[in-house]
Amino acid sequence: MLELGPIISNAFQALQTWVIALGVPVLGAWILAKSIQVGIIVLLVSLVPMVLVYAERKVSAFMQARLGPMEVGPFGILQTLADGIKLIFKEDIIPIGADRMVHIMAPMVACAPVFVCFAPIPFGKGLVPIDLDISVLFIFAVSGVTTIGVLMAGWGSGNKFAMLGGLRGAAQLVSYEIPRVLSVVPVLMFYGTQSLHGIAMAQHGLWHGFLPKWFIFYPVVGQIAFLIFLIASVAETNRTPFDIPEAESELVAGFHTEFSGLKFALFFLAEYAYVFLSSAMAVALFLGGDDGFYANGFLPSWLWFIGKTFAIVFLFLWFRWTFPRLRVDRLMQFCWKFLLPWSIANIALAGLMVLLLHK
Amino acid sequence: MTLSLHHFLMLSAILFGIGIYGVLSRRNILGILMSIELMFNAANINLIAFNHFLYPDQVWGHGFVIFVMTLAAAEAVVGLSLVLAIYRNIKSVYTEKLNILHG
Amino acid sequence: MTMEQMIPTVIFAAMAILLIGLSLIVVTAKSVFRSAIALTAALGIVAGIFALLGADFVAASQLLIYVGGIMIIMLFVIMLSQRSTALTERQTNEQWLWGALFALAVTCALIVQFRAVYRGVFATSVPTPTSVAIGRLLLGDMIVPFEAISLVLLAALVGAVYFGLDYEEKL
Repeated sequence: MLELGPIISNAFQALQTWVIALGVPVLGAWILAKSIQVGIIVLLVSLVPMVLVYAERKVSAFMQARLGPMEVGPFGILQTLADGIKLIFKEDIIPIGADRMVHIMAPMVACAPVFVCFAPIPFGKGLVPIDLDISVLFIFAVSGVTTIGVLMAGWGSGNKFAMLGGLRGAAQLVSYEIPRVLSVVPVLMFYGTQSLHGIAMAQHGLWHGFLPKWFIFYPVVGQIAFLIFLIASVAETNRTPFDIPEAESELVAGFHTEFSGLKFALFFLAEYAYVFLSSAMAVALFLGGDDGFYANGFLPSWLWFIGKTFAIVFLFLWFRWTFPRLRVDRLMQFCWKFLLPWSIANIALAGLMVLLLHK
Repeated sequence: MTLSLHHFLMLSAILFGIGIYGVLSRRNILGILMSIELMFNAANINLIAFNHFLYPDQVWGHGFVIFVMTLAAAEAVVGLSLVLAIYRNIKSVYTEKLNILHG
Repeated sequence: MTMEQMIPTVIFAAMAILLIGLSLIVVTAKSVFRSAIALTAALGIVAGIFALLGADFVAASQLLIYVGGIMIIMLFVIMLSQRSTALTERQTNEQWLWGALFALAVTCALIVQFRAVYRGVFATSVPTPTSVAIGRLLLGDMIVPFEAISLVLLAALVGAVYFGLDYEEKL
């Protein structure tokens, strides 16, 4: 059907041949093609949070028996655009007691890594921007840089409550990174590669003709790994029930109290982009990537990937209005005393299963 | 000018020297710890550069660097918790205030 | 000189200048928070240098361990131990001149030696992915240090927790 992968790669090949015919060296043509691909990814990652903000408001509204945004555009579709324009025009206030350079750099440090993290994600057949050999480790490593941005935001506000909010937020981010990384290790043990494209490709096909070969269907190991990854990702993206750092009734507004206008918009862009990234990773690692659900040729592969990713994003949005917020010490206890031992036990169980399977 | 081994080694030597200056001349304990991290990284650059240029088919340099990074992490953790304990006691992180055992 | 040879050189030159500049900020900045941020950026650039040398696994580990771990706890301790008079105090002690001379002597000796012995050694192979080889090495020839370092980490964890306890909780 409408497979975007071959179309796009043919288009870039044609562009490179045309540029080489104009006299540019081969490496220059390759750099040009890659720069355009980088531009497309940056555009995609900037536009997806706008869709997600609208989706969140609509989903929250329907779960609370109201209608949500309906004024701006048909069914309120242009609401996020209006909000973005409003935030751009807001006055940019820097508190006097704040470190000026740190205050300006904090939103950039918090927001820049997420664009890089989208590079190894397999969006479909032939639609992997760059197929790294260490994709999983790369994504986890680069998303750790956001925590530095949160700490800088806490310090650069010149406000003791914001600093405490930054410390709490950074402690939560660092703590929940550990079960998140450890829950992915069984996937790596079974498939032997860290490349997300390779893992997604290895999950195509059916067991005994009726069960998809997705990791989530592996006995015990798959379900525990998926649940721990999901819960840790909800905590990593500061969403309820783990949103102590940014909830409106806690510590004023946490670490982004003193940020107004475009800087505030950048923090929220980072959060929603991380929600999309975590969903895309969960789909590529546990749900077969772009594998069709018994009907492989029915829809193009990138549509399956986007559909599954938005299903997981809907889970994220659903959690927000289902669970009450966890208190901060219980949040830490949940991570260190529950998720971490279970993820380590999961690794041991996966090791046992790999040993038995390969005997 | 093609990249050669001595370019990377000179860079790590300069980094090491800056680290030594930081360790010897900072008053803040945290500044000293940060300069020690600079020295660790200079040594790591050296190891990876030697591995890439002289023994490209083996990964002993990479393995060694992983151990150096892990030890640096352990040392930073213990050092920083010591700094917190010191701050709790004398309410300062400057080295010349730590002279109670002085003769 | 072809473009394939020039691009790594240009990238290395840019990264080297940035790295040296950032390290100078680390050792001379008045605010210790700014030197910590400069150190974080410097460690990120070192990860870039590792990637330039074909060490993909080590570059990702550098970002994960140093930037995502060590610098965060260092920033924590800096934020928890600040006093309002900190920005007006001197950051270098009385022996800074001797420290600078010693550092300069060590650096010059190292540079002269490296230039003499290793000038003209060029890379002979294309970088390949290293994860599988590192895994085989760590659990093969380097198994003893691998087991020993887990004990070191355990000792570090227990020590850090013990030093962090309040006086009433100590056993």
